Amino acid sequence: MNNSLAPTYQRLFGEYWVLWYEASNSYSIVEPEFKRLLDSYLKSKNKKIFVSKLALEDKFSNPNTILENIHTYLNNCNKTITAALERLDVIDLTKRSLLKHYLIKGKTIQIYYDSELVLNTIHPALAHHTIKTSDSVQITFDIYVKNGQLHLYKNEQLISCVPKHDYHLIQGKFIMQLLCTIHNKNEADWLGTFHGSTITDGNTSILFVGESGKGKSTLCALLASAGFNLLADDVSPMLSQIKKIFHNPSAISIKEGAFNLLQPLVETFEDLPIVQFNKRKGLIKYMPCKHPKKDSYPCDAIIIVNYKDMSKTLLERASIKTLLETLIPDSWLSPNPIHAKEFLDWLETLNIYQLTYSDTKSVTAELSKLFKQLNKN
Amino acid sequence: MKKENNTDKITRKDAIKKMGKYAALTAAGTFLILNPLKAQSASPPDPGGNPFG
Repeated sequence: MNNSLAPTYQRLFGEYWVLWYEASNSYSIVEPEFKRLLDSYLKSKNKKIFVSKLALEDKFSNPNTILENIHTYLNNCNKTITAALERLDVIDLTKRSLLKHYLIKGKTIQIYYDSELVLNTIHPALAHHTIKTSDSVQITFDIYVKNGQLHLYKNEQLISCVPKHDYHLIQGKFIMQLLCTIHNKNEADWLGTFHGSTITDGNTSILFVGESGKGKSTLCALLASAGFNLLADDVSPMLSQIKKIFHNPSAISIKEGAFNLLQPLVETFEDLPIVQFNKRKGLIKYMPCKHPKKDSYPCDAIIIVNYKDMSKTLLERASIKTLLETLIPDSWLSPNPIHAKEFLDWLETLNIYQLTYSDTKSVTAELSKLFKQLNKN
Repeated sequence: MKKENNTDKITRKDAIKKMGKYAALTAAGTFLILNPLKAQSASPPDPGGNPFG
């Protein structure tokens, strides 16, 4: 059979197989019965042999239907990724209307924005790193809208250009470039950027994932005010080889709905400026946190967060399927086969949980207990 | 981004009875294919909440 369509990597996690396909950089989660059938198909020399094997094992199924289904599955898993067209737009220096300087991890960075609206996509989360001026600038970014496209330049070289509605992609690309700058890395050094927030106790770290509005950032703000350190909010970057999550210097973005809950618990919360960037999301406060002692920590657990009004704190084990359904579609994972293998290696070592909470005290106690457990292992 | 999942309302047992074990097992929607984002991203805006209009 056409073995070029076979998964590149395959790992068993409890009751599920996770298969990775290099052509599409996709992860498929299947049950053992499906995996057995797929293996049998791939190992059969030709269709005839496979069909005769099938006839022995399952006389009720139409072999042609099964063949067609397996073909469709494998074709879907092997859809080649189309590379984005490289653009060479020359920087438009007339767009330099607003200028901010930042000092992050000893690096002086200046960013030119063309408007308040564009400034609000990047600046509020970094405002706590602002410095008045600087004579020695290491990196210059330019961010502006031209012909309906948001452009991001680093040292006058185009990094990314997307329709302005997709501004979250420019934010993601900017954070990646910022991480490369402050941690002295290249983009190819990163295994991925997970959509989630990470907290460290100084030894290990826990990555909190979940859909927007499920209380990830609120929980991290709570934990940061209870003595833990924020390692990353919203975008948690993992470096290849050492498989550690690195510090993202952005502040925690707190939505209006959590203001009342955090006000009495977080010192100076009241004094934080309010930003209205996205009408639907309402008001946002950006809460800066102390820099953790180290720049990176191993991550030994992932928790799928679900804030639910009036619920009791409940921390329970979750399956790889539940986790990957939440994590993968919202994260960038490098298509490099070495990185995909490292990602699977890391998943094998992970403790996976789901958490339902509403009470701030008990959830803090429960997670403190989990950190202690992780440190014992 | 793309996610294929089981949305059929009949149970697996019913499907096996109807189509045969392996046909049911391989039918579209009985397995998951998850694609990560092709580029780094921050949280996307909520529907209708895009400040760029």
